[in-house]
Amino acid sequence: MEIRVRQKKGMVILEVEGELDFSNVEQLQQEIQRRTEEVVEIDLQGLRFIDSSGVGMLLSQVRHLYKQGRTLRIVRIPDFIREDLEVIGFFQVLEALKTNPSA
Amino acid sequence: MGEVITVNGKILRAYGLEVSGCSLPAEQVGGDFFEFISCDERTVFAVIGDVMGKGFHAARLMETIRHMLRECIRINPHPLEVVRRLNRVGGDELRKCGAFATLCLLCYDGIAGRLSCVNAGHHPPLLLSDGKVKVARCRGVALGLLEDYLGSGVEEFFLADGDAVVLYTDGLVEACGPGEQRYGQERLKKIVRLQNGADADRMKQNILSDLETFTRGFSQKDDVTLVVMKVTGKGGERGGD
Repeated sequence: MEIRVRQKKGMVILEVEGELDFSNVEQLQQEIQRRTEEVVEIDLQGLRFIDSSGVGMLLSQVRHLYKQGRTLRIVRIPDFIREDLEVIGFFQVLEALKTNPSA
Repeated sequence: MGEVITVNGKILRAYGLEVSGCSLPAEQVGGDFFEFISCDERTVFAVIGDVMGKGFHAARLMETIRHMLRECIRINPHPLEVVRRLNRVGGDELRKCGAFATLCLLCYDGIAGRLSCVNAGHHPPLLLSDGKVKVARCRGVALGLLEDYLGSGVEEFFLADGDAVVLYTDGLVEACGPGEQRYGQERLKKIVRLQNGADADRMKQNILSDLETFTRGFSQKDDVTLVVMKVTGKGGERGGD
C-alpha cells in the first residue's frame, strides 16, 4: 500500500493505493491519527483491495474524528469496493454517525 | 433447544434437508464460521458468518459470537430477535476489540417449508428453484458497528422439494483470478443455476471446482466458506418476493 499526502487549505488528502488489509492497516491508521487538520479526506481511487480489518479501521477513525468535532471523509471509492461496503452496511453506519456522532 | 450440529466436510440429513458445507482457510486462520443449530423437532437454524480480522484473535472472537448466538436462540428463537439480541450482547464484545462480524441467519421450518432470513452485513443467500436463481434481498448492518441492529427485517420464502439455498462468505465472491478479476456474484449465480437437480454435496463440489478453475495459479487472501442446503423432504407452497 502507498499513501500520498496532499494538503489544501484546512484539510489534508490521503491518497491510498494498492491493498489495505490486516498486514498494513496500522500504517494508514497512524497517518490519519498524525493529522491535525479539521478535515481529513481519504481518496480510495487507487485502492485495489480492502479487507474487513481495513473497513473496521476506517469506521473507527470516522467515529474518532467525529467525537473530536472533526471530519474524516472517504471519497472516490471504486465501484467494486463500494459494493462490498454496501453489503456490510458501511454507508448506513456513516449516516448514523452523521446524525449521532456518539452512535 | 436441542443439539448443535457442525458439519464441516460432512453431509447432514435432517428436517427434510440435505446439507453440505465446508470452510477452506487461506494462509492464516480467519474468522469464517457456519453451523446448524436445532431448535425443536421441526425447526433448525442455519448460520454463516465472518468475524473481522485473522489469526487467533479472530478465531477467539468467532467462538464467543457462536456461543452467544446459541444462547440468544435459546432465549427467544424469533430470527429478528436473535440478531437484535446478538448485536446487543455480542456487539459490546466486538466493539471492545474494535472489531465487527457479518452474519446471515436462516431459520427453516421443515413442516411448513418456510425459510426466514435475517442478514447483518453478510452476502445474501442465493435460492435455486426450477433452474432459476434468486438473490435474497434482506440487508442489515454488521454486528458490532452500531448499538442497535439496523436491518431490513425478516425475509420469508416457502421452499419446495428440490429447491436449494447457497450460503457463502466474501472470500468466495472476492476470490481473484486473471487480470485481478474477481469471481463475483454473477459467476456464482451462473454456476448455481447449472446445478438444478444435483444433490447438495455435488452442488458444493461443482461450485468449488469452478472457483478453483477461476483462481488457479493466483494466491488468495481470504477464507472461503460455502454451504448448500437442499430440500429433500416435505415442501410448502411457493411464496416470498
